[in-house]
Amino acid sequence: MGDEAKSIARGLQKRDPELLDRLIEQYQYRLFRYLMYITGNKERAEDFFQETWIRVLERGHQYDGKSKFEAWLFAIARHLVIDWQRTKKAQSLDTLTDPEQDHPLQLANEKEPSPLHQVLAQESEETVQASLGKIPAIYREVLVLRFQEELQIEEMAGVLSVPLSTVKSRLYRGLEALRGAMQGGVAS
Amino acid sequence: MSEKVHERALQLIAQARVEGMPESESAWLRTHLETCDFCTEHALQTDRALRALRTASIPLPDGLASRTQFRVRLRAQELREREPQRRALWLACGLSWIFGIVSAPYVWRLFAWFGERTGVPKLVWELGFGLWWTIPAVFFLIVVLMEKLRQSDEPSRIRQSR
Repeated sequence: MGDEAKSIARGLQKRDPELLDRLIEQYQYRLFRYLMYITGNKERAEDFFQETWIRVLERGHQYDGKSKFEAWLFAIARHLVIDWQRTKKAQSLDTLTDPEQDHPLQLANEKEPSPLHQVLAQESEETVQASLGKIPAIYREVLVLRFQEELQIEEMAGVLSVPLSTVKSRLYRGLEALRGAMQGGVAS
Repeated sequence: MSEKVHERALQLIAQARVEGMPESESAWLRTHLETCDFCTEHALQTDRALRALRTASIPLPDGLASRTQFRVRLRAQELREREPQRRALWLACGLSWIFGIVSAPYVWRLFAWFGERTGVPKLVWELGFGLWWTIPAVFFLIVVLMEKLRQSDEPSRIRQSR
């Protein structure tokens, strides 16, 4: 990881267009999937996808190559989403990120099938897949980072800007919510 | 079997998948699962759920990467064009600071002379000199604030109407 990350950091310092093109290609699916899971909306995920890469171009000099590039990328994407939510809903960062709150990092109406739910249902008729869309975004996010992106818990704490204990507790709750959703129970 | 035993087993099932667990706990869990259908089913359900999460796919919008690459290139070009202006601004900032330092003794004398000529109290012209000194600092502050404002403006570019 070290050499690859360092060479990305050097390229970003120079705003190397070839490198940016390659990174966009390389990480397009993972970043879009992450954004879909946290925003629950395809159009919005697309907007944030583009804004994230603009931010990568502008703030590339801040990436030092000491951590995984994807962890830095997801942190940028997440901050953009939270900033947007904050201006949209005038909520505090704590409200948006605390799973104990009523609507943590949740743009879609939980009672109706979310666009994510619909996208997953369209993609596959299996109810197991569609049920993923029922899980609150705050838990989906940690599940995606841990089990799809395979980030370490420490890296996740960096992306989410929360303590390790919070990451763990969200993961345990998320895992339980996921299991519950798969069984057709209430995911909360 | 007591409730606490099942509770421990369920905790370990989750722990094994979230952060891993020591071999001693793992051995205990294996022994428990051999005799407990309820916990075995729970472990299977958890694994099924994780497998589904790992294999869940989301279709990528057509041309997302190429549209993004195009936007990023445009922005890069914008930044490149703006770079000489920014450099000139920072240079002007630095020069004004250097000029302020070099000219300070002369300006001090000028203020003193002006104070004597007009009969302004010493404290007033000294204050005037102090204010004159803050001009490069204020200019610098304005430049920094403008930069910050420009950078924090990005989220508002995202379609607000959605």
